Amino acid sequence: MLLTSIVFLPLAGALLVLLAGGRGDRPDREGVVRVVALAVSLVVFVATLYLWWAFNPVDPEFQLVERHAWLPQFGITYHLGVDGVSLFLIVLTGFLTPLALLSSWQSIHKNVKQFSFFMLALETAMLGVFVSLDLFLFYVFWDAMLIPMYFLIGIWGYERRIYAAVKFILYTMAGSVLMLIAIIGLAWAHSTATGQGPSFDLLDLYGLHLSWGMEMWFFLAFTVAFAIKVPLFPFHTWLPDAHVEAPTAGSVILAGVLLKMGTYGLLRFSFPLFPSAAHYFAPYLAVLAIIGIVYGALVAMVQPDMKKLVAYSSVSHLGFVVLGLCALNVNGVQGAVYQMLNHGVSTGGLFMIVGMLSDRRHTRLIAEFGGLKAVVPRLVAAFLLITLSSIALPGMNGFIGEFLILLGAFRAHPRMTAVAATGVILSAVYMLWMFQRVNYGTVTNEKNRGLRDLTGREWAMMAPTIAMCIFMGVAPNVFLRPMEASVVRVIDRINGVTTFAKSRTSNLDPRAPTLQPPTSGTGVPR
Amino acid sequence: MNAFAATIPILIVVLSAIAAMLAEAIRHPGERMYIAGFGLIGLTGALVASCFLWDADATSFGVVRADNFSLFVNIVLCIIGILTMVFSHDVIEREEIPAGEYYALTLFAISGMMLMAAATDLLVIFLALEVLSLAVYVLTGLRRGSGLGAEAAFKYFLLGAFSSAFFLYGIAIAFTISGSTRLDQVGTAMASAPSPTLAWLAVGLLAVGFCFKVSAVPFHMWTPDAYEGAPTIVTAFMSTGVKAAAFGAFARVFLSTLEPMQGQWVPVLSAVAAATMIVGAVVGVLQNNIKRMLAYSSIAHAGYLLLGIIAANNAGKAAVLFYLLAYAVANLGALGIVALLGTAEHPHDQLRDFAGLWRTRPALAGLMTVFLLSLGGFPPTAGFIGKWYIFAAAVQNGHYWLAIIGVLSSVVSVFFYLRIVVMMYMTEDASAPARPRVSAPSMAALGFATLAVFYLGVLPARVIDYALQSIQTIF
Repeated sequence: MLLTSIVFLPLAGALLVLLAGGRGDRPDREGVVRVVALAVSLVVFVATLYLWWAFNPVDPEFQLVERHAWLPQFGITYHLGVDGVSLFLIVLTGFLTPLALLSSWQSIHKNVKQFSFFMLALETAMLGVFVSLDLFLFYVFWDAMLIPMYFLIGIWGYERRIYAAVKFILYTMAGSVLMLIAIIGLAWAHSTATGQGPSFDLLDLYGLHLSWGMEMWFFLAFTVAFAIKVPLFPFHTWLPDAHVEAPTAGSVILAGVLLKMGTYGLLRFSFPLFPSAAHYFAPYLAVLAIIGIVYGALVAMVQPDMKKLVAYSSVSHLGFVVLGLCALNVNGVQGAVYQMLNHGVSTGGLFMIVGMLSDRRHTRLIAEFGGLKAVVPRLVAAFLLITLSSIALPGMNGFIGEFLILLGAFRAHPRMTAVAATGVILSAVYMLWMFQRVNYGTVTNEKNRGLRDLTGREWAMMAPTIAMCIFMGVAPNVFLRPMEASVVRVIDRINGVTTFAKSRTSNLDPRAPTLQPPTSGTGVPR
Repeated sequence: MNAFAATIPILIVVLSAIAAMLAEAIRHPGERMYIAGFGLIGLTGALVASCFLWDADATSFGVVRADNFSLFVNIVLCIIGILTMVFSHDVIEREEIPAGEYYALTLFAISGMMLMAAATDLLVIFLALEVLSLAVYVLTGLRRGSGLGAEAAFKYFLLGAFSSAFFLYGIAIAFTISGSTRLDQVGTAMASAPSPTLAWLAVGLLAVGFCFKVSAVPFHMWTPDAYEGAPTIVTAFMSTGVKAAAFGAFARVFLSTLEPMQGQWVPVLSAVAAATMIVGAVVGVLQNNIKRMLAYSSIAHAGYLLLGIIAANNAGKAAVLFYLLAYAVANLGALGIVALLGTAEHPHDQLRDFAGLWRTRPALAGLMTVFLLSLGGFPPTAGFIGKWYIFAAAVQNGHYWLAIIGVLSSVVSVFFYLRIVVMMYMTEDASAPARPRVSAPSMAALGFATLAVFYLGVLPARVIDYALQSIQTIF
């Protein structure tokens, strides 16, 4: 019941918010609504911490499993469970939601009730994605999540919000509906293979034998859906629009949690469900990831808008995560999962900082700022720490993740990794250059003179974020240890065919220009 | 008495229709009378009777069969009818529609629909088709002063008459082959027809008749005009009721009678279904009138339903029934809201009329959003389960391409559903028209439809069970 409670607690809170807000538009209830929403999200965070405490770090299997029949006619179950990979993403979701609510304290004054409702509903959907062990259930949460995000961008966003919201929802849907077809096909393949009827249960499907053609198409359908979410180059074009136009809270959640769903999906579904295809396509994905790393960094460098710069930096950083996953070894995958958490914390922090500056000046253009260090020293100090975390300074969280990723990726694809490593340098270039233009030098714009420094509320947002950045940098084992067993288990699932895949790749050149079925043709023994 | 058992629900509705007509006749001019009440009583009676007849498999006169399949359709039709009646009481006075005629015709149409789903004889199907079509033609043109309404009714009538003729030709040829119009005899005779050309011709002509009624491409031309010109409440009624009845008969004829000829009709209908899904979704994007937009949406939905028929497996058969129910509650809810906000002077059917609805009517905007999201197939609503079920059936039989066209066209259709949402939530209303109040019963009906949308979306297992049970009876 613990997982069910965690998942649906925010939704219950969302309904509570509607009650607390009263009928119609009641600006006088704004404070009550904010406090209720924040309290609910904090309770959820505490619950996720309890989940961490209840989690057994040496058990590689899914824990705290709940399983009930849902649509028994089709083998669809309400199946929840958590392992070392999803555990911290759940905690991250719990961590970022209250911060996101806090970040909107000053900037959102329009329809606070509905805003809080959608934020909490979104949290339920996000948590649901991470704990679902049934593909149908997973898809329900995956798709349901689009609706609150769509409203958050469309109602409370900036100028081009409607365009961004519609683009976000259509782009993501176009990818995920193809995944739906693949999910259905997979369930019927289970029926054909076992004669026990269809099943959408992930654990049933993990060991399924598929023909090479089916495996390839299903893998591609899943992977495109996740690649759009990540976003992997060249599916990234929705991201700058959505990030820039979303309100701060939306950007924090979008960058902090939503993007991780793509990489989580690759690791949880695409790779282990279709191991042969994963081995075959991993190098291609790695190439796309590296293009994303370099391209994202170069484009970020020339952005005049801070928010857009951070958005493109996400493309670059998520490229590292995908690269780590494509290494298909423990170091790479563990680094990738760790980097997901790091990116959530540090990019979430960056969006909060940009939000604070834009709350004060109502602009996000770098050229409008300059010399802030003299005006708002505390804010700039926080800004600096988050920036350093984002560019992976040793001692900060980003370093651990990127180091592990490069370590793992080097073993798998040494030459490509050399190119990827330039991304580390480039990220320092664009982040520090932006930091320098905004904060150093003399105050060139008179409007920047009287800016307020961090308020108590903003301290409450920045302090935990910075603390996490440093803590994750100096004590990575607190996080790496519990995820290790599960990561090894996932790698085993993917490499369960290693011997077979090796014997196959020996007679099938992975760089062959056309896709060929494996010599056995029909099935892949695992 | 047993001879009548299968027709009891139909007879109850006919009686209530006659009562509505009489009430109009004895009403003093200017006296307000709750004529919708007769309809409500009759439809509730029919609903209860249908539940009692469940599993009884009653047959009347050898041509009307109250098997679980037709009873399921009956129940869907009763829900459609009851919701329509509740909305109508609010609407028709404002819309200046003559009450007695309106209610009587609507109820007669429902009786025809019920008969159509229950008929096991081609001639009775034709009879039922005509009963419901004539009633709906008149309903479309019921506002005599409206030029648009007259045009719509005329177009609908002319094209409908053509398609009826096609259908009748199909029956005639089937009769030539088999010497009977009973479905079971037609089925066996057609399968072993000496001249396959003649059999194909019969199947083709019957398919044209059905495709016209369900507004499948390329027989969809009348749909946007008829839906736009008719009073909105009639649009709501016919976009759901006619579709449910026609798909009921369509499924019965093609999936049981003509099942042996699957190899011949599946490829043709596949092309029709693909075209229907694409045209409905893509052309819908260009519309600025909500009624036209939802007309194209209903065309797209006809395509998804056709996909269920093409899948022609047990999952597909049950999926059609489930989808009809899911589509009915959502579409009736959406068009019901459009109807409830309209008046004779100001129909409230342009996209921009919805601007800022969220500010003035948050509850209505919220309900409208739920219905639109369900039509667009978002979880956790009925529309998602319905679409998933249809696509699951199609994929099971290897129709991957049709399923892919289906999901992609549904993404396109999401675009125009979202246009309405954008209007309601993200656009400030410049010149808000005075929107009429919505009465408590109508709000309750909308609330019921919303509950149904979520119930079917979150806990669909039981209804899917009923759908599976009912489909087994026709095979």
